[in-house]
Amino acid sequence: MTTHRSLSPATLSATPARTEQRDGWEVVLEFENQGGGPHLIDLSHRARWDVQDGNISEMAPWGVPVPATPGQCAMGNGVIINRMNRTQASVWHLEGERLEAPPDDPPYTNVTEATVFLALLGRDVFSIAEKLTALGFLGSTQSPPFLVQGPLLHVPSQIVCLSHEAERGGLLFTCSRGYGATMVEGIVQAGSEFGLRPAGEDRYADWIRERF
Amino acid sequence: MNGRLTGLPTLRVDPHQAIAFLYRGREFHGQSGDTVAVALFDNGVRVFSRSVKYHRPRGLYSLDGESSNCAMEIDGVPNVQTEKTLLQSGMSVLPQNVVGSPETDLLGFIAHLDWAMPAGFYYQTLHRPAWFWPIAMRRIQQLAGVGRIEPSFRMKGVFDEVYPTTDVCVIGGGPAGMCAALAAAAYDLRVILLEARPHLGGMYDHRVVLDAEGRTLHDRGMELASRVEATPRIRVLRHTSLIGIYNNNLVTGFQAGDADDAFDERYVELRARSVVVATGCIERPLLFENNERPGVMQAGCAHRMARTYGVLPGSRSVFSVGHDLGLEAALDLAELGLPVLAVADSRDQGRDEALVEALQAKGISYLSGWVAEKAHGRRELTRVTLTAIHGGARRDFSCDLLVASAGLTPLTAPLTMAGAKPAFDSHTGFFLPNGMPDKMHAAGSMLGHGYPEAIEASGRYAGLEAAADCGGAVESALEEARNAVKAAPGTAGSMIVRAPRSGRKAFVCFDEDTTVKNVKQAFDIGFDVPELSKRFAAVGTGPSQGGVPAHNFPFLLSEYRAEPLGGVVPTTARAPMVPASIATFAGTNHDMHKRTPLHDSQSQAGGIMRRIGVWKRARYFSPDLLCREEIENVRKNVGLIDISTLGKFRIFGPDAEKALQRVYAGNMAKVPTRKLKYSAMCNDDGCLVDDGVVTKRAECDYYLTTSTGRAGVTVEWIRYHTRYDNWDFHIVNLTDAFGVINVAGPNARRVLQKVTDCDVSNEALPFMGYQESAIGDGIPARVCRIGFVGELGYELHVPSSLTQAAWDLLMEAGRECGIRPFGVEAQSCMRLEKGHVIVGTESEIRTTLLDLGMGFLWYRQKPAAKTVGATALRQTADQLGRLKLVGIETHDPKQTPKDGSVVVDTEVRGHVCTARFSFTLSKSIGLAMVEDELAAEGTELEIYQDDWGKERIKARVVKVPFYDPDGERMKT
Repeated sequence: MTTHRSLSPATLSATPARTEQRDGWEVVLEFENQGGGPHLIDLSHRARWDVQDGNISEMAPWGVPVPATPGQCAMGNGVIINRMNRTQASVWHLEGERLEAPPDDPPYTNVTEATVFLALLGRDVFSIAEKLTALGFLGSTQSPPFLVQGPLLHVPSQIVCLSHEAERGGLLFTCSRGYGATMVEGIVQAGSEFGLRPAGEDRYADWIRERF
Repeated sequence: MNGRLTGLPTLRVDPHQAIAFLYRGREFHGQSGDTVAVALFDNGVRVFSRSVKYHRPRGLYSLDGESSNCAMEIDGVPNVQTEKTLLQSGMSVLPQNVVGSPETDLLGFIAHLDWAMPAGFYYQTLHRPAWFWPIAMRRIQQLAGVGRIEPSFRMKGVFDEVYPTTDVCVIGGGPAGMCAALAAAAYDLRVILLEARPHLGGMYDHRVVLDAEGRTLHDRGMELASRVEATPRIRVLRHTSLIGIYNNNLVTGFQAGDADDAFDERYVELRARSVVVATGCIERPLLFENNERPGVMQAGCAHRMARTYGVLPGSRSVFSVGHDLGLEAALDLAELGLPVLAVADSRDQGRDEALVEALQAKGISYLSGWVAEKAHGRRELTRVTLTAIHGGARRDFSCDLLVASAGLTPLTAPLTMAGAKPAFDSHTGFFLPNGMPDKMHAAGSMLGHGYPEAIEASGRYAGLEAAADCGGAVESALEEARNAVKAAPGTAGSMIVRAPRSGRKAFVCFDEDTTVKNVKQAFDIGFDVPELSKRFAAVGTGPSQGGVPAHNFPFLLSEYRAEPLGGVVPTTARAPMVPASIATFAGTNHDMHKRTPLHDSQSQAGGIMRRIGVWKRARYFSPDLLCREEIENVRKNVGLIDISTLGKFRIFGPDAEKALQRVYAGNMAKVPTRKLKYSAMCNDDGCLVDDGVVTKRAECDYYLTTSTGRAGVTVEWIRYHTRYDNWDFHIVNLTDAFGVINVAGPNARRVLQKVTDCDVSNEALPFMGYQESAIGDGIPARVCRIGFVGELGYELHVPSSLTQAAWDLLMEAGRECGIRPFGVEAQSCMRLEKGHVIVGTESEIRTTLLDLGMGFLWYRQKPAAKTVGATALRQTADQLGRLKLVGIETHDPKQTPKDGSVVVDTEVRGHVCTARFSFTLSKSIGLAMVEDELAAEGTELEIYQDDWGKERIKARVVKVPFYDPDGERMKT
């Protein structure tokens, strides 16, 4: 087990109030003066996996069947499975402290290190989102959770809408890790008029627990 | 400030909140809610600017930006439309296009030279003799344009952008737009309502006539606005001007922020499933002599000045109008205390007789079939001549306000821009939209509806149509609304275009000083098509984008072509429909770039970060741009460089090898385990597009690297070139998953061995070897023995989150031998010494693998059809006249050509790709692409330098690599 410190690509400008060491990551559970939201939360320490297989529709990573249609998501056993295209899905660790690694099978690639993983939760989430992207999340044809693949601040991203609710909206998204710093800067700037603040992982965990 | 009207229910200003501002350095005061133009007018300013061509005085004419009359400089920003800009405390306002003062402009004499400047006089007059044109052009360029701005000017403020999506977008917050929004929202649809003014209400907002139910229109407007604002599904964007409408209901605009907003101006790009356009009408200017003299204004302008802002627009007024709104304004303004001397109505019939009777009951002279013929007054209006349209009788009135309006013009520009065709309707006198684009609907007065019940019914109907577009079950409601529209009363329009005997100083376009006479001149020359005539005579080409000339221009052309009105249709509207600042289009402009896992520490270590592609990288680690110490430390000792930007991929599956064979030039069937294979990718033309190494990590499972610039397209590249094969393989982009540290130099092994328990000896990990091991306390590393800079070197691919830890370990391990980081520039110089190419630096779009001398990478036994670019490589293998990559060395070691310099004799024979002074070799060396006949070793070359005059750098072709030709240093 490594004792080296893992660094997140996202740096949130706030003072941590409570932290926890987890597998080399210093996970901020709560920041000082988090406020009532909306919140930006760094989840980059949570595992993400890429799954590719010609028969992906038949697969059930972590016991959750892969959704049949690209854009659909399935939740269960602490993960969300996002169907990306004919042969590919992404798996994000949503609940619990750790995600057990899958069997050492070819379809699975650990991409935790490849992306930055952020959550945007609370009121005005979609007002902030529309400053970042022309992608729509509130259309009546989609019901959460669903996956949208497209640009966020012009950066190709995977975005999952977890909730449409005005006061408890929720978006999770990933993009290339290298964009982590400028992505956070852009989101914080866009969200400043709505009182967006960094929050710790506990806020995210509470939100997930309340919502699901 | 003059005494304002108070207590009116229609007022939108707060008399208790005075706002101080500066005009030409003098402090004035306005009221909260004023626009800048209203505040200036209230403080006695009548001449706001001078016109662009003739320097004629211009004043307040309309309140919605239909002309550039009120364009002024505010806080250093020129061409601000002051009639639309809300007054803010401390603003500094200046007139523009003025030499002297607005009242006494030293260039005002130009107005008397109009006889010398016919339509298109630039094109006709100033070209003969030919030598005169450059002189004239320079002078015109000096005089042309309005407002001044320094290149160094930085726009102050916060410029935001927003990209909303919605079900229905309603453009126009008047009664029709509000009814449309309410109708659509009733079907649980999301509606966004755009309104150009700071408040909803449109044509109802300032009017106090009663509707069929006995409410004032203002009250009815307020009621509708309250309902709109109370409907959660409706989102109102006030003070939002339309820029354009495009395919698939993409609507763009910009919103001016108010005191509570976090932005000063915000670009809006909106996508809707259906669009309702309810933009209403503007007034059609009446054409008569001096029709733009300060003191002449439109009926709506005069009416709103009093009702919305509490400012009576004159002390003695005359009206010359052609529609009932003008009569209503005259009556209401008279009620409010404005002396109205006479009302000339260009119509003989079709008017509201009740309004006429009311005017006469107040003792106001009503002249049916009369029109304004001429406005008098040198700088401002002092007198008006009215004339009977038929018969020629005239009457003069001394006044300071002439309210003039020929009729109404529907604002159909958004629809025509989206693809609708304007077609003349003789009943309304409007060009109505025909052939509406899919999922786009029109509503309200722009369709010719004049009565409130008709306007609202039309809005409801359009809103329901939009709801139907979004899947709403609206059938019965739609039928009901359709019947309501049919049952509503209609209105007849006025056709009068211009007064008798008007021409020389009757302005069709205020922005460009184009008169009726100019249009006729253009027509007489042969410009009888509106698209040509408007450009030749400069009609509607100014900042207001045809607001004033709008439909008068096609009417005039119809008259000259002896066609019935409507024979000539308006030209197509273009974006931006209203002037928008470039800062608004620029928006927030986030600098989105990628940072490596080592970015912060590189920067703290003195790295000078430069943007290279999508990344920011440390280019230098000292102010020495030649990087002598960085290079020498690698050559003699050991250095570290962050090369995390390399593309990195996993490709796996039963057919992964086939995919690799397809895209790589080499024989990928021989990719070894625990070893690296260097190979290259070509495009179909055989030109080099990428290079990198590949290793096999398990059966049917490979790890490969690409150049930094290609990382973003590699997955698509491989998929594209295997798209018909139905092969079973998969690719994962791991570029960002691994940070990569290159340890290079004679002491590299010594440093690396200190941080790993694995054997990194030359025997265990030879040149081009690959090993998966751990460094430090368990940091997993993929170790590649590669020597890009020509020394013993290792690439360590480690998880990105642990890359900093790995870097710190290596720095600590190398401290005793003086390890130090080096940057991209030092790396580039050293790889040049080694003769290693960089894709895109030594190659370009026409450079094949063979041109670069890299034919050794091409495995020719593969069937050509199976390797991308192989066919082209065969065809060009012996082609003469190609540019070839060669090494060059200058005669004078101190003369180093610039990158990109051209190789010349009597003509251009090639170019230098990269050249540097090599501290290692004490001479200037480079790689150049030259014509094949110059590629032989020993050939003398001359290199042109753009700042050397006729002197050339002398160089000769030499063998590469320049440094360690046998590669012993890399392989030891």
